[in-house]
Amino acid sequence: MSTTKKYWKGIEELQETPEFLKLQQNEFAEELPVDKFLGDENLIDTSTNRRDFLKFLGFSVTAASLAACETPVRKAIPYLNKPEEITPGVANYYASTHWDGQDFSSVLVKTREGRPIKVDGNELCMITKGGSHARVQASVLSLYDSARIAGPMKGGAEITWEAADKEIIEKLIASNSSGKSIRVLTSSVISPSIKSAFGEFALAYPNTKVTTYDSISFKAMADANLASFGKAVIPTYSFEKADYIVGINCDFLANWLSPIEHARQYAQNRKLSAEKKNMSKHVQIESALSVTGSNADKRIALKPSQLGSAIVQLYNKVTGSSLQSKSLDNKDAAIGEIAKELKAQMGKALVVCGSNDVEVQKIVIALNQYLGAYNNTINIDVVDNTRQGNEADVMSLIEEMNSGSVGALIIHGCNPVYSLPSGEKFKAALSKVGYSISFSDRADETASACSIITPDHHYLEAWTDSNPRTGHYTLGQPTIQPIFKTRQALESLLKWAGNTIDAHDYIAKIWESTVYPSTSGLTAFSEFWRKSLHDGIVTIANTDQSAIQDALAPAIDLGSSAASISATAAKASGVELVIYSKTGLGDGSQANNPWLQELPDPVSKVTWDNYVMMNLDEMKEKGFNTILGQEQKSDTVEVSLGGHSVTLPVLGQPGLPKGVIAISLGYGRTAAGKTANGVGANAAGFIQFKDGYFNYNVSGVTVSESKGKYSIAATQTHHTMMGRQIVKETTLSEYKKDAKAGNEDILYATNLKNIGKDGKASAKELNLWDSFENKNHFWNMSIDLNSCIGCGACVISCNSENNVPVVGKDEVRRSREMHWMRIDRYYSSDMNEEKAEAEGIGAIDKFLKMEVPSSDEVEVVFQPVMCQHCNHAPCETVCPVLATTHSLEGINQMTYNRCIGTRYCANNCPYKVRRFNWFRYNENAEFDFNMYEDLGKMVLNPDVTVRSRGVMEKCSMCVQRIQEGKLKSKKNSERPKDGSIKTACQQACPTNAITFGDFNDESSEVRKAWDNERKYQLLEEVGTQPSVFYLTKVRNKNATEA
Amino acid sequence: MSKKIIYGVFEDEEVLLSSAKVLRSKGVRINDVFSPFPIHGLDPVIGIKPTRLSNAAFFYGLFGTSFAVWMTWYMLISDWPMNIGGKPNFLWIDNMPAFIPVTFELTVFCAAHGMVLSYLLVNKIYPGRKPHNPDLRSTDDKFIMEIQTAQNGKIGEDSIMSTLRETGAVEINQQEL
Amino acid sequence: MEQNSTVTVRQPLILGKKSYHQISEDISRPVEGKANRLFKIVFTISALLALWGVGCFAYTIGTGIGVWGLNKTVGWAWDITNFVWWVGIGHAGTLISAILLLFRQRWRMSINRSAEAMTIFAVICAALFPVMHMGRVWVAYWVLPLPNQFGSLWVNFNSPLLWDVFAISTYFTVSLVFWYTGLIPDFATIRDRQLKPRMRKIYNILSFGWSGSAKQWSRFEEVSLVLAGLSTPLVLSVHTIVSMDFATSVIPGWHTTIFPPYFVAGAIFSGFAMVLTLLIIMRKVLGLEDYITISHIENMNKVIILTGSIVGVAYLTELFVSWYSGVEYEQYAFLNRATGPYWWSYWSMMTCNVITPQLFWFKKIRKSLIATFIISIFVNIGMWFERFVIIVTSLHRDYLPSSWTMFHPTFIDIGIFIGTIGIFFTLFLIFARTFPVIALSELKTILKATSENPKQPHH
Repeated sequence: MSTTKKYWKGIEELQETPEFLKLQQNEFAEELPVDKFLGDENLIDTSTNRRDFLKFLGFSVTAASLAACETPVRKAIPYLNKPEEITPGVANYYASTHWDGQDFSSVLVKTREGRPIKVDGNELCMITKGGSHARVQASVLSLYDSARIAGPMKGGAEITWEAADKEIIEKLIASNSSGKSIRVLTSSVISPSIKSAFGEFALAYPNTKVTTYDSISFKAMADANLASFGKAVIPTYSFEKADYIVGINCDFLANWLSPIEHARQYAQNRKLSAEKKNMSKHVQIESALSVTGSNADKRIALKPSQLGSAIVQLYNKVTGSSLQSKSLDNKDAAIGEIAKELKAQMGKALVVCGSNDVEVQKIVIALNQYLGAYNNTINIDVVDNTRQGNEADVMSLIEEMNSGSVGALIIHGCNPVYSLPSGEKFKAALSKVGYSISFSDRADETASACSIITPDHHYLEAWTDSNPRTGHYTLGQPTIQPIFKTRQALESLLKWAGNTIDAHDYIAKIWESTVYPSTSGLTAFSEFWRKSLHDGIVTIANTDQSAIQDALAPAIDLGSSAASISATAAKASGVELVIYSKTGLGDGSQANNPWLQELPDPVSKVTWDNYVMMNLDEMKEKGFNTILGQEQKSDTVEVSLGGHSVTLPVLGQPGLPKGVIAISLGYGRTAAGKTANGVGANAAGFIQFKDGYFNYNVSGVTVSESKGKYSIAATQTHHTMMGRQIVKETTLSEYKKDAKAGNEDILYATNLKNIGKDGKASAKELNLWDSFENKNHFWNMSIDLNSCIGCGACVISCNSENNVPVVGKDEVRRSREMHWMRIDRYYSSDMNEEKAEAEGIGAIDKFLKMEVPSSDEVEVVFQPVMCQHCNHAPCETVCPVLATTHSLEGINQMTYNRCIGTRYCANNCPYKVRRFNWFRYNENAEFDFNMYEDLGKMVLNPDVTVRSRGVMEKCSMCVQRIQEGKLKSKKNSERPKDGSIKTACQQACPTNAITFGDFNDESSEVRKAWDNERKYQLLEEVGTQPSVFYLTKVRNKNATEA
Repeated sequence: MSKKIIYGVFEDEEVLLSSAKVLRSKGVRINDVFSPFPIHGLDPVIGIKPTRLSNAAFFYGLFGTSFAVWMTWYMLISDWPMNIGGKPNFLWIDNMPAFIPVTFELTVFCAAHGMVLSYLLVNKIYPGRKPHNPDLRSTDDKFIMEIQTAQNGKIGEDSIMSTLRETGAVEINQQEL
Repeated sequence: MEQNSTVTVRQPLILGKKSYHQISEDISRPVEGKANRLFKIVFTISALLALWGVGCFAYTIGTGIGVWGLNKTVGWAWDITNFVWWVGIGHAGTLISAILLLFRQRWRMSINRSAEAMTIFAVICAALFPVMHMGRVWVAYWVLPLPNQFGSLWVNFNSPLLWDVFAISTYFTVSLVFWYTGLIPDFATIRDRQLKPRMRKIYNILSFGWSGSAKQWSRFEEVSLVLAGLSTPLVLSVHTIVSMDFATSVIPGWHTTIFPPYFVAGAIFSGFAMVLTLLIIMRKVLGLEDYITISHIENMNKVIILTGSIVGVAYLTELFVSWYSGVEYEQYAFLNRATGPYWWSYWSMMTCNVITPQLFWFKKIRKSLIATFIISIFVNIGMWFERFVIIVTSLHRDYLPSSWTMFHPTFIDIGIFIGTIGIFFTLFLIFARTFPVIALSELKTILKATSENPKQPHH
């Protein structure tokens, strides 16, 4: 019943007294004095007049705005309950494994407050031995890539994992029952657990087939081994055992198979000391000048079409057989020379070839056989599992997809739409597939065309294992909670196969059944597992040693190989194109990584772009601009072959034969993220698929000049040493005669009696001042130019250790890159002092000619240059505010918050290693790289200040690491042991070219290096007395040695 | 008798100079002379002692030098000695060559400004001060001699005025004190 | 007596039959008269330029030094070029009034006032650049010998930049007081001519209540003399120290012991050129032909020949020394100047600074206003290029070819430079309208000696 209950206000209402009834009419109980107030005559002249009102107004406005001016408070929230393993300010290290389908590396991950900030090589790993590669170093930034998708996505919209799983399983069952096939397209899988997961998956869905695809194929090599040894494998190499190395179109130091390992081995046999006065000789036969080629003692530049013939000739001249081969016009003699030298190196020689032509590889195998390389420098029993791709299968898969017989396609760890030569075809075929699933971490070219994306973890978020080669296993544990709602592909596969086990348990299970048994088994599995996780690697002695060195399979008929080689050579016509991959981007899978984009190419020193490399003379003939510079725009050309064509700027490249151009892969991404999209052009379209193999050297390309001009962003625009003593260099024979060869003391005439002898003294002796002594420590660094291969791992390592900002293409064009450490690359020039002397060429003309690098027989040197920490530092003297001074440990230190930015120090630096913050590079939308995004900032090293706008910065010799090391040893009350403190560049270097330590410690490596006869200081004549010094480069030129 | 100031107005500095000599020879004390520009040779005649501003300047300079020496020593050698480009700063004298420019500049700075300040003080000139030249033309083209009768008790005011007139004063004004 | 005898052989320095009063009249005319249209136009233009410069400067502070064309190799370019150029120009004034006073050069008197004014304005423009070129202008005061907030981090007396701080500030303030002490009596003259009480008040404040008594005059003369004595070494020291910014460095092309004298000569050279540029206009606009005579111009032209030749010799000496040193870096640095990518700046410097002034050997050109004006402009341009050549071509290719690069100015670089020119002329025009542009009390002292009527007429 509806209530009629009435609540009376008071006794008056109840009694309905007349006053109440009267008052009830009014809104207010009492009369309000409104009229009185408004009617007040002298309201006008009340104390609050208009002026006062304005005063109040003004005051309140000011007060309000002042209140608004208050600076925002940034709170640092401490752990509510701290995880026991994390101590704020102390780094934790975890072992993990980097494998992205192109670079394998067992790594040690440095985490701070639960976030990975640095990736370095794992020293326990027998393959990398602690070395690393630019791409591996940079992988930590890819973890914090904002282009990664936050969870499963369907048609551009996020969905839950439950929904995704439900749908996927339905679809899979459907296509399975409908008799349509299920296909898995994956990059080479080296993880035992994923392999077995595929197995389980195939069990659940019987008509599943796995197709493996490498963006850069090694199939020909595997097939050649199949033909020769009956097993389709990629062998492993021991460059350290080789005294004579012939590399044929094979960038084994930077981009081929296992570069970190090769670089280490290579350098190992090229280090010189009082004890070891011998080094290997390295000959490189190639078209485009590669990192490896620039390190060669002798380099022979040939057209791609000639390389096959060169190998056949080499084989003929070494073995004395007479297989059919074409002449290499003027280069035949050189090949003969090499053959002679090779023969002298039986058992200690190694020939490696990067060609993907099976016939060529057969000859190479035969040649290595003859030279007794197998079981000496090549090991075919310990096989490399990182390249299992089969492009033929991929191509047939496309056919299959087009036929519509593929019910479901799962794409794992690869991006065929981008990296396949027929990417567009693949995309088209993809639409004919019933249902397509991608594990990609971003909506890339392929994934965006798939039905659904179920993003995989970044490897630093995942439990991983791998078996990169026979008897070698690695484990990886997560170093951070998954940043996004991603799920490890392993778990996804198992889930869809009906197995809900999580990755850790599954991997443990697999290992218990596979790896553990093959160990001694002395320890319990739990113990073994714990140790393996800690070390990150397990090595098992290789058991089966089937001797095959002299078992050259009779089946293979080299004659026909040779025939087909010369046939292919004959077919070559017109301009030839070399498709190669760069040290920075490789196959482009990490293209959205700003560090890698801004890493100068070791050889061309160009950042942020790919380009058409062309012979210098040819460019001059065509009237192209050969000079790099802010205002010197490069001409662009349109390169086309078949249907595919790209328009790119032309870059003059010494050491590239006429009639050959080269374009690198990895650029021209369209769906990788804001950093990579639209940078350069994709050259994958030029790759030719010919009788079962991808061919990376193609001919018959048309190059037509296009209208546009383009300004290339290079960090080095001047390429020769101008006859200066910058990189000191000698030959092995000279070095053997006199260890100081090429490094003779420079003495200066002086009239001071007390120093030097007979009126001559060295730059160091000619010193105005009594010097400071570094009583406690004296940190010095030595760089062995004979070991440095210029790969650039140190540069990325430095960037990530020291929060070096990325500045972008346009700032690099203005030569404002911020890298604290650079690797200078100098080409040899045809002009030099002696020549000018002999031909009586005048100074002006001489220097003009010196600026031009030699076009054909070019020699290359690399020189890492960072702050030289001069003990008589010109920069320190000139700073008006003492922002840069010398520490008591001999370090030239920069005080950022004292700097007022006069740039006088940078001007007065003879090495030009100081970098100025022209703009604010962090939190600035103009520089939308990792330092702009909250996510990207997570990679910053909390031990290093992020520099503000308008201050100078430079290499600090990783002073934060020195302090940490000193504290560590102080805790156990001892002096830091030599080698216990490593700078970032030193740690990354795969060849150990960099040595750092305490000069005051008599036994330290750096002190030994100081006493080395090859030691010299850069520009010592300036009298800066640097703490960084170099060891001369030695080239092994003469035939008789090595 | 009443105290008066007599102003002899001249049109030429040389005429004034000679007239001043005559007056002095008669023992007349000339209180002051106002002119549009300095009259050379006048000071001894009317008995103005040479100024000592230059000596002051010297001492100001001396102060500047010693201050600079102290400052450089205190700031770079004593308070926080640092290794700056390996330059020896164990003793002030080691590092002295680098300090010469600053020392020199400070010397000049103190000497110049010290002297000018004292100049303004002793001249009692400063912004907003009331000028006390008796006749506006004295900054243009007239030269004015000021004689106070009080200072020349025995010499009669008439004789002074007559002498002025004789020696070429173009006009003579009197003013009660 | 000695004076008169010299006068008979010399050109009179004051033309027309002038009385003391006439001088006061002539000099005060521009101050008391109304500004003509030409003046207003010129003033507006220069004020606008000044504003434009201020705008560019504000943009630089707001965004970062990156808006200039500098890079990792060339850390200084237009900024310091302009600084040295302006400081150089700022040398003539003090030199004229100080050194010529010591040498008793009477012809200085008609020009020293405006020359000093020019000095002060030029130094203001110059001083802007060392401040502006700092990455963090807002902490510019850290170059003063103050402790940091923790108390014991001072400044670096080893740094030539710090020497600059002391040199420039001393030079500026001392020139200013020198200039002003001279102005005081002249302000008094103007003051006593004013009928309007407001003008009188203003000029009384400016004149510090000067009365021109005998005592004041004797002190005045003493002070002028001592200040001149102090300014003479000062003016020499300033550009010496500026040159040390480069001379004490290790960069080939900078590391040159010849710099101090060479810079000082260059400074006087450019200073006189700028004085000529200004005076030739001023005497016309303000109608001071009788005071700033052809013989004044000719005298200055003689100084220009002298200093121009010194500079020329310095250039050649540099080349010789670099060759003789046998240091490859030095040799290349100078070869690169003449034949490298910046050859054009080197050769425009050579033509403007070495060749054109030699024309003054001809009396005709020396006495021609037009020729003098044009050549003075040439010298100004040439001296700017000299500094550009020294700074940029030395930096852009120094020791390690890997870092070699080029410098390309942005419109901000240019804007700021134009802006300082605007500021300079704005200040000078204000000066010309409100200050006695010629030291009239000084001038009156030499009227008899060097005017066309040796004796004052009695009336």
